[in-house]
Amino acid sequence: MYLVSPLVLLLLVALAGGGWSAWRARAQGAAPAVRQRAQLLALLGAASAALGALILLAPLNFCPFELDGDGNADRLNVMLGIFILLGGAFLAHRVASSLVGRWLRGEALPGATETRTGLFSGPGSTLLALLCLAPTLTILTLFLYYPMFDTFQLSTQLARLGAPRTRFVCMRNFNQLLGDPDYGRTVLVSFFLAAFIVLFSLALSLLIAQMAYRPITGGRFYRALLVWPYALSPVIAGIIFELLFHNTAGVLNHVLYSTFGLKVPWLLDPTIAPWTVVVASTWNILGFCILFYIAGLQNVPNDLLEAAAIDGASAIQRFFSITFPLLSPITFFLVVTTTTYAFFDTYGLIDFLTAGGPVESTTTMMYEVFEVGVVARNLGSAAARSLLLFGIVIGVTILQFRFSRGRVMYGS
Amino acid sequence: MRKTFLVLTLLLLAGLTLLAPVQAQGCSAEAPCEIDALIGFTDHRLDWAVERAVEFGEMFPQYVVNIESFSDYEPLLDSYILSQEQGNPPEIMQLFEVGTQFAIDSGYFKPASDIIAGRDEVLGQPVDFDDIIPVVSSYYTIGGDWSSVAWNTSTPILYANLNILGEAGIMDLPTTWQGVEAACEQLQPMVDAGSIAGCIVWPNHGWFYEQWLAQQNTELVNNGNGREGRPTQVLLSSEASLNIVQWHKDMYEKGYYAYSGKQRDWSGAVQAFNSQQLPMIMTSSASAGGIMRNAGENGVEVGTSNMVYDEEVGWTGNILGGATMWITDGLEPEIEEGAMAFLLFFSNTENSATWHQVSGYVPVRNSSVALLEEQGWYEENPNFLTASIQLGESQVTIATQGAIFGTFVETRNIITQAIEDAMLTGGDVAEIMAAAEEEANVLLEEYNLLYVDE
Repeated sequence: MYLVSPLVLLLLVALAGGGWSAWRARAQGAAPAVRQRAQLLALLGAASAALGALILLAPLNFCPFELDGDGNADRLNVMLGIFILLGGAFLAHRVASSLVGRWLRGEALPGATETRTGLFSGPGSTLLALLCLAPTLTILTLFLYYPMFDTFQLSTQLARLGAPRTRFVCMRNFNQLLGDPDYGRTVLVSFFLAAFIVLFSLALSLLIAQMAYRPITGGRFYRALLVWPYALSPVIAGIIFELLFHNTAGVLNHVLYSTFGLKVPWLLDPTIAPWTVVVASTWNILGFCILFYIAGLQNVPNDLLEAAAIDGASAIQRFFSITFPLLSPITFFLVVTTTTYAFFDTYGLIDFLTAGGPVESTTTMMYEVFEVGVVARNLGSAAARSLLLFGIVIGVTILQFRFSRGRVMYGS
Repeated sequence: MRKTFLVLTLLLLAGLTLLAPVQAQGCSAEAPCEIDALIGFTDHRLDWAVERAVEFGEMFPQYVVNIESFSDYEPLLDSYILSQEQGNPPEIMQLFEVGTQFAIDSGYFKPASDIIAGRDEVLGQPVDFDDIIPVVSSYYTIGGDWSSVAWNTSTPILYANLNILGEAGIMDLPTTWQGVEAACEQLQPMVDAGSIAGCIVWPNHGWFYEQWLAQQNTELVNNGNGREGRPTQVLLSSEASLNIVQWHKDMYEKGYYAYSGKQRDWSGAVQAFNSQQLPMIMTSSASAGGIMRNAGENGVEVGTSNMVYDEEVGWTGNILGGATMWITDGLEPEIEEGAMAFLLFFSNTENSATWHQVSGYVPVRNSSVALLEEQGWYEENPNFLTASIQLGESQVTIATQGAIFGTFVETRNIITQAIEDAMLTGGDVAEIMAAAEEEANVLLEEYNLLYVDE
């Protein structure tokens, strides 16, 4: 039994899609060719929206709208269902309207290319082209598309590694996460760590690069040493920092205690431990950022800086008005890569430094995916978690691209 | 021409992948059968195992035993499960005690009793399971049958730096919670003066909680600790359970328990003891080898006593920890015989004795204990006897036999987290344990949904 019949849901979505298309077609500013075909466009809009919703919900058998044994619907489930319904409809509608737009404007549909020369022309060329692409496609299918599909499938199941069977549980894995305050805290911790890792590593690396890029005696050797921390895996960085920061056996507290009579609970206090992780991760990724900034600084045209200096600009003015804007593509690239590092690659470091503690104050989303999926073998919940993490990081990256528009200059 | 060449190359590559390797028949010295064994050690304990495998190969040239090592029990088990799913499992695997229910549920293994089928020996290697010490046989036999072959067995004990304790005027090692508290009080001036960093440490790991539960003769799961039927409830709100977590919390709040802030921090705890920052540690008897070696090198006198217990409740016994060796089901009969003979050789009287001397794990055979006594080993190394005494004097009850259930590993982690929360957040112990119990029960319910036939 369903709360609302799937047919009604699809009809509603179709109506919304059709209505939207019709409104767009009649709106002022639409081309005459579009206005004349408003009915057809409304029909196409309705069909694509319904199809999009159907493609996502049919494999789930519309389960978010199903009633349980007592005839009750789960509110969170229904909300997730509506989200999927609208999401699918929206995406399909966007694709369809872009295709129809091209068709109305008489443009070629995407896929057709104009350059057709060389080995892959003439009879049988498509077959040969496919044959040559086969290894790449096979690898992509095996290691990217199939795991991706499998993750989606697993996220709707109760599944354990080694278990003889799996059970379809609809949205339960997501449902459990959304209602869990611990998960909310994990998300916050991830963002907190990522924000400060990015901020510190970029600021520090720019400062160091600014000092290290100049042609000084032994500069090459010195610069090579600066990159060295990046050559260590996060695991090794975690071990090194554990030896430094360990509460009882650590070097740092030993020195602090013998000189100042002071002991800092680096890894024991839930408010301090995240900072320790930030420091260790920053140290680990710093070399990578320095490398790029040094390369960038060496490409800042000297004549610009010289001219500014002659005009009376101070060193600080020169840095903020010339050097920093010219470095913006590198800064943007580093923001994106260090964000990815902070979200995904700090797992090993955290595992060896704090194991996610104390009191889960350094448990990031990625760390939890591993803990739940690999250590606890709960594949379904881990798949749901990794999909959410994936969505969040994609969202952050899109925001970064949006925000950087007009602020990043590529060449002149 | 170029096109033809390209197509031919691709076809050739495709053809090569289809050629399957040819399988040899029978095991002989010329073409020995390979027996792969996965074990969870990477240190001197791995070296010991490899040496035994080489010796076995010399005795039985028709077999080659390859020891493959893993950093820990969990990745070992994951690797085994994956190789099973790929249809190419190794012949032997070492599985930790808490994986027992999973091993039975998985159907991956053939019970040792079935392979031996009542024989006294396999390829000349004597069976004699009656020789195994009772605490081991009561843990690993289910319904009287051996499902695996016993190997490494340990129990937590207390190690103390006698130099530091002597300085504080403590002559007798504490054996109870109350004794530890009194000793810590006496050591506090040294902590205040900064000559030591704290009083006592043990890794924050559910294993210690389980031990204290058994000491108080209390079960961890229902249905006879999972031995009378499949358990459906994890019992974390019992009086004994709250007692343990409360004591843990009190010890931390008084500043006696030196927590590193990291869960399951085995190496950090041992490091703090070895570097003489902390005078007392409770950890596995399997660390005896390493701790005594370090003490010898640094001129430290180390003493040991039993795992401390609550004097007000009394002591029933301790549960063993460690792992056993399982043989994969569905092997060729000749390979299965070889695998069984190897495990019997691996855990015979002499090898159990040298294994104990190398590692500190408890000798699992009465005859090994007798052999070691005869050699005067325990007189020279009394600290190696503490664990055997603790396990030997344990009463066998449902609680001290240890729990068996499918989500033991995850439940352990939940308990560890709950204890950390109790110590560091200052929350109410009963509330924290009630929440942990609920979480553990959800996992158990999910496990049963996947494994129990309806």
